[in-house]
Amino acid sequence: MSDITTVLVDILKYTIVAATPLLFASIGGLFSELSGMLNIALEGLMGIGAFFGMAAAGLSHNVFIGVLAAIASAVAASLLMGVVILRFKANLFIAGLAINLLAGGITTVLSQWWYHTKAVVAFSLPDPLNAFPAALAQIPFIGPVLLSHSVLTVSAWLWTLGAALIINNTRHGIRIRATGMHAQAVLALGYSPDRARMAALVWSGIGSGLGGFALGLSISAFVPNIVSGRGWIALVAIYLGRKKPLWIAASCLLFAFAESLSNYIQGFSSIPPLIVLALPYAVTLVSLIVAGNKK
Amino acid sequence: MEAERELRGPARVVLAVGVSIALAAGVLALFSQDFGSALAQFFLEPFSNRYFLGNYLADAVPLMIAGLGVLIAFRSKNFNLGGEGQLYASALAAGVLALRLPAGIDPLTLWCWTALVGTLTGAAIGALSGLLKAFRGVSEMISSFLISAIVINISDFLITGPFQDPASNFQTTRQITRQFLLPRILAPSKLDISIGLALALILVFMVVAKRTRIGFELKICGENEEFARYCGIPVAAYQIAAMAVSGGLYGLAGALLVIGPQGRVIRGFSSGLGWSAISVALLAQGSEAGVVPAALFIAFLGTGSDHVMIGSGVPSEIISILQAVAMFFITARSLPRLRRRRP
Repeated sequence: MSDITTVLVDILKYTIVAATPLLFASIGGLFSELSGMLNIALEGLMGIGAFFGMAAAGLSHNVFIGVLAAIASAVAASLLMGVVILRFKANLFIAGLAINLLAGGITTVLSQWWYHTKAVVAFSLPDPLNAFPAALAQIPFIGPVLLSHSVLTVSAWLWTLGAALIINNTRHGIRIRATGMHAQAVLALGYSPDRARMAALVWSGIGSGLGGFALGLSISAFVPNIVSGRGWIALVAIYLGRKKPLWIAASCLLFAFAESLSNYIQGFSSIPPLIVLALPYAVTLVSLIVAGNKK
Repeated sequence: MEAERELRGPARVVLAVGVSIALAAGVLALFSQDFGSALAQFFLEPFSNRYFLGNYLADAVPLMIAGLGVLIAFRSKNFNLGGEGQLYASALAAGVLALRLPAGIDPLTLWCWTALVGTLTGAAIGALSGLLKAFRGVSEMISSFLISAIVINISDFLITGPFQDPASNFQTTRQITRQFLLPRILAPSKLDISIGLALALILVFMVVAKRTRIGFELKICGENEEFARYCGIPVAAYQIAAMAVSGGLYGLAGALLVIGPQGRVIRGFSSGLGWSAISVALLAQGSEAGVVPAALFIAFLGTGSDHVMIGSGVPSEIISILQAVAMFFITARSLPRLRRRRP
């Protein structure tokens, strides 16, 4: 393979890897968006999932237990948010902001308490399970780019397809969407809009928890600020994808490509890395402006 | 519908303050070896001498100024989540200007220029989110956060690159000469005369809100956008202006830190201030005068956390947890009854 192909393979392969946390989180966030709640807490929920998931995986030396812990912790946080918003009638955005602050605080304090550091906590974990037989990775180009990924990465796509089915084809999905469109009508039909919203927040929690854990797993470590804006990028993907799961997936791929490109440029160019780090945010911002709808 | 107790503003503030203090004590009990001394470090040490007291008040100054800005944005129903970047970038702009101005300049002139440039930098960044909302329908929360993330990266690069002090081991700009720093009061603490400016600003904003057409129209825009439009109030202009004022006050807070307590721009020095200012605005419950006690309280949580970190090794990040809990209570509009009524 020529040099340029190798580079392209690297960038595209990492695009798929970088899209994993974004996909989990933005599809999770889609549920709460559809129920009428812009969930700005995705960032914090991802951080919680990353920390507790990695801590549990490290303790048990078992990735599956990590997955469960990531989901459980992020769902617990989103339930807390749900109770504060729905029962205590709190402002959605302030509650979301509080979750983000809480996540940053709790993960750093616990990291200091359990691991005596506020910096990188590295975990030695079993190698991630490959979703495809090793032979498939030998296929030129397509093999390394598409067919060499872990079970978790493939799960993100199954999660997306599953969410699309739930949203479009089940009563549960229809109730969540109806709540977002016309909560009074849902109430009049004898269903509880608050229950649909709570369920939607739980979906957000599951997705963000998995997304955060995928981030931690990809570097086998936890660092405070590991999420560094990806929760917000996932939120923008929901808008850019016009609230349609497959278009959201495409948006996540776009943002992941920007991240992959920025990683690559950092290693191989004279552009200062700190500037390059801003690239994913810039791409996200531009796409938000393009997707914006004039009232 | 089940019976619910409505929570009024003062009750929420008392709950938020009370619960966050109780939680602080709880966290200290959990993390510290010597609970008694940790408690004293958190609650008493900041007031124990002139030096600590001055430093504590100095920490409240940027919170008053930036919190006032967040409050103005809230009033027009705008959430500015880009304070971190607005403050940081403006501090850098002000710092670079202070270092570049000729050495013979009069200190007062330098202070005015740096404060102005800091304010304008923050205002421009804030206004951008306002413009995007007005013309592209983009959520100002998301855009202000993303713009902030971008300007933080660029500022980090500028501080560690072109403006790095070659003589320092820290990632920082050069030091501004002593004579160009704001005069200190309560020396040797870092409290300076900017506290007077902060209080004066709060007074000015109070008068504008209560006595002028601008203040009134801004309030109408926030309370009922449709009605405001119907009255012929230029709603979009007010929204953009509110975001600009909010960003501008973050910027001013940053500039004053650089020509005051900091004296230079250290990489990441302002981290957390942007979010704390939001807590301040929430605690102030829409009142300019409320910004003063709110800033004093949030600064107290921060100072207390710093004191126990140094004294007892409890991570100072507990401040985020305390603020989050205070936010939950301040925004709760009702308390569900604990016992349900029998049918």
